[in-house]
Amino acid sequence: MIRLSDIRDSFEGVIPSVIATTDADGIPNISYLSHVHYIDERHVALSNQFFSKTAANVRHRGVATVMVVDGRTGQQHILDLRFVRSVGDGELFERVASHLAVMSVSQGMGDVMKLRSLDMYEVEDCRPIIPVESLAEPEETERPRDRLYAAGQLCAAIAQQSDAEAMFDCALEGLQARFGFANAVVLVPDEEGRKLSTIASRGYPAFGFGSEATVGEGTIGTAAAMRRPLRISDMRRGQRYASAVRAEVMRSGPDHIPLPSLAQPRSQMAVPMLSRGRLLGVLFVESEKSYAFSHRDEEALSLVASQLATSLLLAERDRSEGWAVPASHQPLPALAARCIRVRYFPLDGSIFVDGEYVIRGLPGRLLHHFLSAFFQTGRTDFFNREIRRDGSLQLPDFKDNLETRLILLRRRLEERGGPIRLSRPERGQIRLECDGFPEIEIATG
Amino acid sequence: MIGADVAAFIESPVMILVSTRNHAHRAFIARGSGARFDRRRGHIDVLMCRGQWSDVAGNAARGAPIAVTVVRPSDYRAFQVKGVIEEIASASEEEQQRASAYVARMLEILAELGVTKVQLSHTLTDKDLVRISFLPTDLFVQTPGPDAGQRLEQASQR
Repeated sequence: MIRLSDIRDSFEGVIPSVIATTDADGIPNISYLSHVHYIDERHVALSNQFFSKTAANVRHRGVATVMVVDGRTGQQHILDLRFVRSVGDGELFERVASHLAVMSVSQGMGDVMKLRSLDMYEVEDCRPIIPVESLAEPEETERPRDRLYAAGQLCAAIAQQSDAEAMFDCALEGLQARFGFANAVVLVPDEEGRKLSTIASRGYPAFGFGSEATVGEGTIGTAAAMRRPLRISDMRRGQRYASAVRAEVMRSGPDHIPLPSLAQPRSQMAVPMLSRGRLLGVLFVESEKSYAFSHRDEEALSLVASQLATSLLLAERDRSEGWAVPASHQPLPALAARCIRVRYFPLDGSIFVDGEYVIRGLPGRLLHHFLSAFFQTGRTDFFNREIRRDGSLQLPDFKDNLETRLILLRRRLEERGGPIRLSRPERGQIRLECDGFPEIEIATG
Repeated sequence: MIGADVAAFIESPVMILVSTRNHAHRAFIARGSGARFDRRRGHIDVLMCRGQWSDVAGNAARGAPIAVTVVRPSDYRAFQVKGVIEEIASASEEEQQRASAYVARMLEILAELGVTKVQLSHTLTDKDLVRISFLPTDLFVQTPGPDAGQRLEQASQR
């Protein structure tokens, strides 16, 4: 019997599997099924969505025969199955249901593939179908790297960083150097948990800091909503889905920053960064190659994402929040200095500088806070500690997010290239640098 | 039993699955290499590779039950036809040519849908062909969705 772990790529659901059963009268029944889920070396689960004849036959005979196809090589394997039990809830059911929901969207099947129950089977035999002639041979692929070793090394490197910003850069650098993942993005959730903002990226023409993904949509948003890793091995078959994703990426508007994205991704993987049950972000990688990410990569990236989440949480709670030194001031610019037109929408915290959207939410409110203080008093230095205590910023539930919000804001301003920048002279300290004098308009729309 | 539209569907570029079973009622799986409806005799002829699908071929005997599912790759529209095997024979020259044309056409159609030749490398073949002729007795809708598995037609005698 072939080891199921040796054919894990056949359980991706890229090429539909086939199931055959026999009814009470001895008549065979054969149909496609979307997924055969690997559970362990001796067990698989079948998602029982709509095949009533198959379900009835399995109940009667207790056996089924399944064929799975490796989407990368085209190899086919037959599995002789014996029914064990049906499950309609629980961790495994939820995991499969969420995966199926995404795959059905990615294959343009809408909610047709909604999971009803999950049937668990023991695998009695697994054997290859030997082709009389193979029509084509797969390309030679690079020998898989030792993912566990790479993940361990990268986690250790992230754990060495004391500063959240350095953690992001270390993670993305490590993903490229140790895993060969050249296109990667880290996104962090907003205060309402509706959007995720790009806080770090690598491998794209623009960083896209501050660009947003909607929770519950696309690969990134779905991984965030379901708090589970999501891996799509071959996006060619999901052109409609890819088009929908592109539409989101290309969406234009006054407050839109394009998400860093490959023009034609073939593989994508998004892994939630969870610590103490809280979503601190999403780690996203993509590639122009099909099957760029394996289930082992998914496991390795989950370790890295967990380390990143935990390190971020600890960094946020670090008590070194800046010395209570007297705030420094910048002499107010002469009246002839350049005027920076700032438009601020208190409703959602969005802020525009010289007519261009900068950022929204808490980072927007923070920028407005800094600019207002500068406008009123010429003050340029601020401290995390005082920001946390400032009720006007509506921080209460999100104090732990301050550091990532400040990084997001600083990076967004940096990428814009002026006229407003933030620098970090000391830990816990923020310095506002303005090439002019802000004229702030509060918009009510 | 098989109307003109279903007959045309069976003969159009569809993926074909074939199943027979052994005495212990274990069902087996094969992929077809082309099918046609013999309008004169009311049979369905399905072609498949004998060597590659030896379990199905080995259990295909005159009088044995068979199930064939045909699926259009572009929209997953599908039917399942069940019946009783009437004849098993090596493919004729004409059937061989039909299978070769079928494989070539399926490769084209699936390529347009983003399925590569490598992914189909073990799926489609026109080698070592056997023809299984069977008399249809049941017809089911198999398109994924709430109607999947619904019976459309049943022969009056089984």
